[in-house]
Amino acid sequence: MYRRKTRITMLDVVVTTLLILLTAFIVYRLTMKLNYKWNWSIIPRYLYFFDESEGRWRANVLMQGFYTTLRLTIWSTLLAMFFGFIAGILRTTPRLFNRLVGRSYVELIRNVPPLVLIFIFYFFVSAQIMPLLGVEDFIRSRSPGTQKILGYLFSAPELFTAFLSGMFTIAVFQGAYITEIVRAGIQSLSRGQWEASYALGLSWRQQMTYIILPQALKRVLPPLANEFINTLKYSAIVSVISIQELTFQAMQVMAATYVTIEVWLTVTAIYLVMCMLLSLGVQWLEHRLARSEA
Amino acid sequence: MPFKAKGDYIIVVEHINKTFANGVKAVVDFTTKIHRGEVVVIIGPSGSGKSTFLRCLNGLEDIDNGSIIIDDIPLNDNEKNRLEIRKEVGMVFQQFNLFPHMIVLDNVNLAQRRVRNKSKAEANAMSMDLLKKVGITDKASNYPSQLSGGQQQRVAIARALAMMPKVMLFDEATSALDPEMIGEVLDVMKDLAREGMTMICVTHEMGFAREVSDRVIFMEDGKIVEVGTAEHFFTAPTEDRTKLFLSQIL
Ligand SMILES: Nc1ncnc2c1ncn2[C@@H]1O[C@H](COP(=O)(O)OP(=O)(O)OP(=O)(O)O)[C@@H](O)[C@H]1O
Ligand SMILES: [Mg+2]
Repeated sequence: MYRRKTRITMLDVVVTTLLILLTAFIVYRLTMKLNYKWNWSIIPRYLYFFDESEGRWRANVLMQGFYTTLRLTIWSTLLAMFFGFIAGILRTTPRLFNRLVGRSYVELIRNVPPLVLIFIFYFFVSAQIMPLLGVEDFIRSRSPGTQKILGYLFSAPELFTAFLSGMFTIAVFQGAYITEIVRAGIQSLSRGQWEASYALGLSWRQQMTYIILPQALKRVLPPLANEFINTLKYSAIVSVISIQELTFQAMQVMAATYVTIEVWLTVTAIYLVMCMLLSLGVQWLEHRLARSEA
Repeated sequence: MPFKAKGDYIIVVEHINKTFANGVKAVVDFTTKIHRGEVVVIIGPSGSGKSTFLRCLNGLEDIDNGSIIIDDIPLNDNEKNRLEIRKEVGMVFQQFNLFPHMIVLDNVNLAQRRVRNKSKAEANAMSMDLLKKVGITDKASNYPSQLSGGQQQRVAIARALAMMPKVMLFDEATSALDPEMIGEVLDVMKDLAREGMTMICVTHEMGFAREVSDRVIFMEDGKIVEVGTAEHFFTAPTEDRTKLFLSQIL
């Protein structure tokens, strides 16, 4: 493969120097001139604390929030893939009605601000539908063991409804973007693949299952993995409907302690590290797929 | 094989028209009958509707009107009929269109397994026979991208034959190939013709036409201009347009 040589120009040096100077200046102003009492010592104990009664270290609110964010991200992404694949396939079927359904979903979601969508879902799904389904009662009636497992996988019983509506909201939202990825993946295949499998006598469903989806899936794997990162970032937005994920917990800690900047810097660092690790994973995946293409 | 016996009509095409959404009339009032075991070569300038005509025969394109009957099955809106016809009509494309995510053997197996519902062992046995026939046994577990163009096209022929079709359609099967690979694909096609397969081939390989075809159809602007044996086209074409076209390709 052709690789361009890394070369450092005069301009790079100048820009880098300026950036360093600017950073130094900001840090200087922050530490010397800012009317703000730094109090970093308080942060660690909101991450982990020593539980005297149990005699072991336990995650405190921030880390609990982080775990909720992770759980929320994983389940929402899976659900979003489910929505996205169904709608994405619908968008490529020959039937006009199917395409219309898929298209409406995407257009509806993409042309409404996410925050507004969340409120809609919250007041509709969480406040009306969930109690109707009796999810919370159902969870509470399970054995303690089951409740514990459910708590591990999803959320504690008292927060279950909120968790589900948060998950559902993000999934519906992200599903619209995954729909477009799936559609693009399917449409990126040459018409010849459809025609050859058609000529062999395969039904539409068989063409999809054996010919089109396996190839499309391989092509869209990196963008799909990327949506995982997007879901993680978007999950912060459900803090507005009191889902106790990382951002929500940060607001709680901030309200209780007034160590604003430290809390937000910590939270930023957690998101940043998570997303960067995932992003490295995606890059690795892309690399692998590119190599196996041959 | 000595002389082949010509049977009844396996393909009956009557007054078909095909107009594309953009208004292009690709096939105009096309009528022809093809005997079982007959080899028909279609020639004509680019855009004359050769591919479109072939694609109408297996339902890849819907006709506006007229009728197509293949082995007594009418090709109409009836999904069962259409499926039956797709099973009986094999097609080989200019661009091979092998399935790149499957090894050669699975490419040939696929329709046997999924459409004919054969067991894996049965399908494998038949596929290996077919691959032997087209001379690719040693590449059975390679991916299509690891094969040369000529090899890929021979696999594509094996793949179509795996459905045991009664008719084979070839749309410029050798046009995308480097010159040194054209021969190997034509040889496979000639063998097939000599074995009595009913074939409709869009090709400008007049040597092939002379060797194995029973009839050559010259079409232009979606219509049949002249029909005759290959010999007729070489020695005494009657239409001016045919002469002009032949002078360009020969
Ligand atoms: N999907 C389509 N939509 C619109 N017009 C089409 C389509 N396919 C073919 N055509 C037009 O129909 C006419 C016949 O095309 P066709 O591909 O059948 O010609 P051909 O004889 O196979 O040509 P070539 O030798 O270049 O393959 C052309 O004018 C072409 O532009
Ligand atoms: Mg053509």
